[in-house]
Amino acid sequence: MDYLSIESLQISYAQDNQITPALKDLSLSLPLGSIGVIIGPSGCGKSTLLSVLAGLNQNYQGTVLINNKSPKECDATALILQEYGLLPWKTTWDNVGLGLQIRGFSKKETVIRTEQILNKLGLFHLRKRYPAQLSGGQRQRIAIARSLVLEPELLLMDEPFSSLDALSREEMQDFLLELWQETNLTILLITHNIEEAVFLGQKIFVMSECPGTIIKKLSNPLAGDYSARGKIEFLETSNSLRSSLRGLN
Amino acid sequence: MQKIELMHKSFNILTGVIILIVFWYLLSLILNTPALPTPLTAFSSFFELFTSELMPHLTISFYRVGVSLLIATVLGVPLGLFIGKNKKADEFSAPLIYITYPVPKVVFLPIFLILLGIGNISKIVLITLTIFYLILVTTRDAARNLPKEYVLSVKSLRANEFELYRHVYFPACLPAILTSLRLGLGIAMSVLFLVETYATQEGIGYFIMNSWSSLAYDKMFAGIIAMGLMGFFLYLLLDAGEKVLCSWIHL
Ligand SMILES: Nc1ncnc2c1ncn2[C@@H]1O[C@H](COP(=O)(O)OP(=O)(O)O)[C@@H](O)[C@H]1O
Ligand SMILES: [Mg+2]
Repeated sequence: MDYLSIESLQISYAQDNQITPALKDLSLSLPLGSIGVIIGPSGCGKSTLLSVLAGLNQNYQGTVLINNKSPKECDATALILQEYGLLPWKTTWDNVGLGLQIRGFSKKETVIRTEQILNKLGLFHLRKRYPAQLSGGQRQRIAIARSLVLEPELLLMDEPFSSLDALSREEMQDFLLELWQETNLTILLITHNIEEAVFLGQKIFVMSECPGTIIKKLSNPLAGDYSARGKIEFLETSNSLRSSLRGLN
Repeated sequence: MQKIELMHKSFNILTGVIILIVFWYLLSLILNTPALPTPLTAFSSFFELFTSELMPHLTISFYRVGVSLLIATVLGVPLGLFIGKNKKADEFSAPLIYITYPVPKVVFLPIFLILLGIGNISKIVLITLTIFYLILVTTRDAARNLPKEYVLSVKSLRANEFELYRHVYFPACLPAILTSLRLGLGIAMSVLFLVETYATQEGIGYFIMNSWSSLAYDKMFAGIIAMGLMGFFLYLLLDAGEKVLCSWIHL
């Protein structure tokens, strides 16, 4: 049974007095507890897809089911963006507690949960800092903490590590994998980076140019294998992905 | 750390005051006219008159400016946020604001005097109207330019419209709002002076002009010093407010 299933999704935007399709006949599915990665050219509608899944955009046609519920009904999703996800005017503590506050948790419960998640992710010592006082990697860890504190089932990540340098990026990939292994999270992650897709994605979806649709689905047994980064199969999968992306232009 | 900063600031202010007074003193020597008394004469007149004559006028002026700033903020900030965040409201109001914003509101003084009387209300309305526009436009522009990712990420936590205003729009625009208030304060003081020179016998503006017309230049300068200090005090208040409310800006 698939946790996430999308069928014939179609979305259009009204732009300059004309309606332009952003996504067209897009279908994909993801089993519970797996990591899916979407890779595709800029402007092909990846962020649009995530906004639908996060329940932020209801102007779509087709079927979208998360655990058999519509995205609007499902409050077990969490969205993590590339940048600007954390509010610069709130400290780490307040940023992480924000979701709990919004969802009406009591003050006491908010404190307990916030403290718990910060400790678990080794971020407690950063609780009084503002985002401007944190490194890019720390900021993304805190963004993840803010999502996890709500105990989501589906984590939607929109190019979460794109603005990080190569080393922090690999650290964050490892960090995400560890988290995922400890939990039952289903993750759908968007990336521009082929190695990241092969390292993290049990399922890899390649998207076409705009209007975006899935043109290739790949099951990837190498995903989550820390030693895979050096293996020959890793390079082969990467190269095959690279050529299907090249084929787009 | 903060203490050092405070000392540094006080030192800067002191230096500024000394330079100003020296300049004033030299100028009064050069011009050698009763219309520009020396700083010593002016300040001794200021201290002499402070509790007796200046204080009642200052109080009423302070009230006029303070209330105006308050009303302009309470009206301008929510409206500016709303317009900046609502495309329809923005499109509707933009031409209206565009046309009326550059019109100097002080030209309506005669009309307000007729319609609202010569009491405090006409004065407060005029000062309020002037700063209101400034706050409205600044807040609107700040809200317009807010990165949409902030809104998306908080919306995805299932925030409603009110929570977006509370956690995103308002705090994001607060630095711009406080800047517009500081600019507005300077303008408010000018408008205050103007409205207090017509059809009133109260307020520091009246005191200054009245001293002027009776050739009491030392009294006039006592009034100018009082007005300057009042503006400075309000400015410090806003500055402190920004330090407390927007500490994240100064990281
Ligand atoms: N709010 C919007 N209004 C109009 N067009 C939009 C909007 N958001 C995105 N688009 C358009 O939809 C297409 C897909 O955008 P997006 O989902 O952001 O792509 P990606 O994340 O893959 O780079 C682009 O052509 C973009 O111009
Ligand atoms: Mg995008």
